[in-house]
Amino acid sequence: MAHQAHAYHMVDPSPWPLTGAVAALLMTSGLAIWMHFHTMTLMSLGLLLLLLTMYQWWRDIIREGTFQGHHTPPVQKGLRYGMILFITSEVFFFLGFFWAFYHSSLAPTPELGGCWPPTGITTLNPFEVPLLNTAVLLASGVTVTWAHHSIMEGQRKQAIQSLTLTILLGFYFTALQAMEYYEAPFTIADGVYGSTFFVATGFHGLHVIIGSTFLAVCLLRQAQYHFTSDHHFGFEAAAWYWHFVDVVWLFLYISIYWWGS
Amino acid sequence: MSLSPVALAARRALAAASHSSHEGGAAKTWKILTIVVAFPGVGVCMANAFMKAQEHEQPEFVPYSHLRIRSKKFPWGDGNHTLFHNSHANALPEGYEGSDH
Repeated sequence: MAHQAHAYHMVDPSPWPLTGAVAALLMTSGLAIWMHFHTMTLMSLGLLLLLLTMYQWWRDIIREGTFQGHHTPPVQKGLRYGMILFITSEVFFFLGFFWAFYHSSLAPTPELGGCWPPTGITTLNPFEVPLLNTAVLLASGVTVTWAHHSIMEGQRKQAIQSLTLTILLGFYFTALQAMEYYEAPFTIADGVYGSTFFVATGFHGLHVIIGSTFLAVCLLRQAQYHFTSDHHFGFEAAAWYWHFVDVVWLFLYISIYWWGS
Repeated sequence: MSLSPVALAARRALAAASHSSHEGGAAKTWKILTIVVAFPGVGVCMANAFMKAQEHEQPEFVPYSHLRIRSKKFPWGDGNHTLFHNSHANALPEGYEGSDH
C-alpha cells in the first residue's frame, strides 16, 4: 500500500467541476432563452445540475476530511485561505452595487426630480421592519458565537441549541424581508431607485438563504458527531460567511434604508 | 521598541483579562448575552415594528415617466406585473388596478 511522504491532499479525479461548469452554461444560456422565447426548460435543467453538483462535491469534501483524514493542518490552512479569498471576492461583488447606489443617489438626475429619494417614491420607514431585521441579524451573530464556543468546549447540546437558534433567526429575517418586498409601495421597475434597492437587497437576501443553508448543513453534521473541539473548520467557514452577511446588511441598512430615505 | 513601564503593565493586565474570559466559560458568556441582550433587543424591535404597522395609505397615483418603467415585458404572467406585485400598494403604468382601492 503506497503512502504519501507529505501532508498535502492530492485530490482524486472528480467529475463535479465539469458538471458545475455545464450547469453554469445551461443556467446562463437558459436565462437568455427564457427572456426571449418564454421557455424555462434549459434554465431549470441547469439549476438541477447545479444543485446535484453542489450536493455531491461538498459531500465528497466531507468524506475526504471527516472520514478519510485528508484535512491535515496545512490542508486546513489552505481551506482557510480559500474561504477568506472567496468572502473577499463577495465583498467586491457587493461593492459594485453600493457604487451604483451612491453614483445615482449622490447626484440625482433631473429625470428623477433632481432629488433623492426621487419624486414619487414613498420610501420604507427605516425604524419599522428594517430595524427589526437589523436586530435579528445582530442577534444571530451572538448565537453563532455562542455555538462556536460550545463546539470548542465540547458542549454538544448547547452547540445544537445555539446553532438551531441562529438558523431560525436567519429564516425569520428572510420571512420578514419577503413580506417587506410584497408590501413595498415601490417596485424594481421604479427607475434607478427600484433597481438599486431590489438588486442590492435581493442579492443580500440570496446570501442570507445561502448562509442559512450552510449553517443548516453544519447543524446536521454537528448532530452526527462530525465536529471535534479543535477541528470544525466547516463550521468556522459557515460562521465567517454568516458574519459577512450580517455586515453587508449593516451597510445596506445605513446607506439605502436610512441615509437614502 | 520598548514601552514605558506603565504601558507594559497595562498590556499585561489587558492580556490577562482577555485570557481569563477566553479559556473555559466563554460559551456561558455568549449564552448569557443571547438571553439578556440579543433576544430582548429583537423583542423590543418586534413590538415597535408591529405597533407601527398600521394600514399604510395608498400613495396618490401620478403618471411620472421615470417610474413604473416597462422597457421589456416581464417573462411571466401578462408581462406587466413585477414579481412581488401588490395591487393595493403598487400601481401599474396606467394606474392602480380595478376600481379605486
